Amino acid sequence: MMSEAAAGDSAGGVSRKKVLGLFALAMINVAAVLSIRNFPSMAIYGWSCIGWYIIGTVLFLIPISLAGAELATGWPEGGGVYAWVKQAFGEKGGFIALFCEWSNNLVWFPTVLSFIASTLAFALTPDLAVNPWFMFSVMMIAFWGTTAIAYFGEEASTHFSNVGVILGSLIPAGLIIVLGVWWLGSGQGLVLPPFSPGAIVPAIDLSTLPFFATIVLLFAGMEMAGFHALETRDPQKDFPRAMALSAAIIVVCTVLATLAIAVVIPASQLNLASGVMQAIQYFFNAAGIAWLVGPMALLITLGGVVNLAAWLIGPAKGLGIVAEEGNMPPMFDRTNKYGAPVAVLVLQALIGSMISLLYVFLPSVNQAYWLLSAMTVELLCIVYILVFAAVIKLRYSQPDRPRPFTIPGGKAGVWAIAGLGLFGTVLAFVVGLMPPSFFAADGTLYVAAVLIGTFLLAVPPLVFLRCRKPSWKKAGASGGDES
Amino acid sequence: MTLTPRMEHGLVLLLVLMVLIPCGLVIAIVSEVPFREIPSDPAERVVLPDGYTVTLVNSTTWSLPGALGGKTYVIMDRNGNRVIVATQAFASAEERDAVIRVYNANAIGRGRQAGGLIVHGQYIISVTPADPDIIQAHRAAVASALSEI
Repeated sequence: MMSEAAAGDSAGGVSRKKVLGLFALAMINVAAVLSIRNFPSMAIYGWSCIGWYIIGTVLFLIPISLAGAELATGWPEGGGVYAWVKQAFGEKGGFIALFCEWSNNLVWFPTVLSFIASTLAFALTPDLAVNPWFMFSVMMIAFWGTTAIAYFGEEASTHFSNVGVILGSLIPAGLIIVLGVWWLGSGQGLVLPPFSPGAIVPAIDLSTLPFFATIVLLFAGMEMAGFHALETRDPQKDFPRAMALSAAIIVVCTVLATLAIAVVIPASQLNLASGVMQAIQYFFNAAGIAWLVGPMALLITLGGVVNLAAWLIGPAKGLGIVAEEGNMPPMFDRTNKYGAPVAVLVLQALIGSMISLLYVFLPSVNQAYWLLSAMTVELLCIVYILVFAAVIKLRYSQPDRPRPFTIPGGKAGVWAIAGLGLFGTVLAFVVGLMPPSFFAADGTLYVAAVLIGTFLLAVPPLVFLRCRKPSWKKAGASGGDES
Repeated sequence: MTLTPRMEHGLVLLLVLMVLIPCGLVIAIVSEVPFREIPSDPAERVVLPDGYTVTLVNSTTWSLPGALGGKTYVIMDRNGNRVIVATQAFASAEERDAVIRVYNANAIGRGRQAGGLIVHGQYIISVTPADPDIIQAHRAAVASALSEI
């Protein structure tokens, strides 16, 4: 679990305590990936949700887990994807990969924050969700509160993550699964047609292709533990096991909880516009435990906060490392006595707050947000394409580097596994450019907007590297290309 | 050295702008749908093309603030593929926009939502699953039918 090791590590002159063990690392990934929000949305697909989950597992979850385990054990350095991609493609590649992960978060924050606020409103009184001042206030409390937890360093974040994941994600998911089993056991009718092996095969055609990108990124976040390498007691041993443990928990909870909802609630009642809590309410009413809806809403709110925290802290830590290595101006590398990258955290919170303000108070931004979300899909694809390409390249450029965990099967194995991941993410990038059916304007305009937005959100590292000065490098930081 | 802080601030400003410009871009591209009262359920005006059958119609009022009622249509095509279209009228722009926020928050993982959302006056029209053939192939007809209401 979590205990403080006597030894510390120093990077960039900042002492970092080795506080993370197997369980804490696994919970970081579970916090980043497992979300109750996904269950009703996927339950709409009935039995074929199993097929979609298999696609997501084969084309992304397994490849990213294995690639992440190999990279994290071979290069257990701070920075996560930055450190890994830097080894293969130099600082420019590493910085772009990390920045894409960070900038896509800035656009994603308002949506997860509004999920937190609307779920809390449901627990208190649903009318509050209409009040933009309530929504914005709760969003800011959650955002700056999570930033404050990150301020107190890895130990505080880990405590919060461990407790929060159990209360806000695992208990609600477990409860949904238990209720589904009870429903089946009590002989109540299933709303799905009888199971047949053919029913799990999803319909894949031109109309479902855009959904493919969503499925591939369903398990995005499995690399999140890699950002915490400097605080991990025994990364070579714990990373692979944490990857396996978190992947197992995520798959079991996701598949079973989705099926539990699918067999109880008719698809026509799973209305996405009315939200997750409406589905949970229907589910709990059917089970005769309507009184549990309020407490469940509070737990799911906590789960949303933990999900936010995992994505808020990891990439910010990575950006702090990039700044320490001299790739960003010194104002970005400021860390506090807890080792937290305060400058990046504050800047991130300020930008996220500005976008949240626009999101809540400008209906035009709210109504157009799906277009910004499309950009975040493309940015994430860039991150993972670089990670999969890196694990392949490093087998050739650094074959003798000790890797306590390697993707089995030698070079053929790494090509097969990372190749699957590359195929999935490249395809997701391409189909992510297909305009959704409800977009009335010219499709070319959509493609241009998504590509321009993605470019703007990905290009700042090139500007920083162009303006880089030797004086930016923090004393004691490693830095430089090591490839 | 005296220029360094200015350069640092410039880079921070650039970073903020690079993130905010895409927000301005989407505002320019996707125009806000004004709130206005619609006399009848907009989905009723859309004539189904050949090969599609409405197998179920229910009147529903979502358990959400300001929801005035609407209908849920289950549509099947010749291959047995099912599309669920749910419409709901809202009493005010604030209540309608609150639903859009909830919808935006319900993306699967880090991707898109499982369905699509059309905003039309006081109505929210939810279509699941995402991008069904009926909308893809008849996008213009649907848009035209809605524009007449």
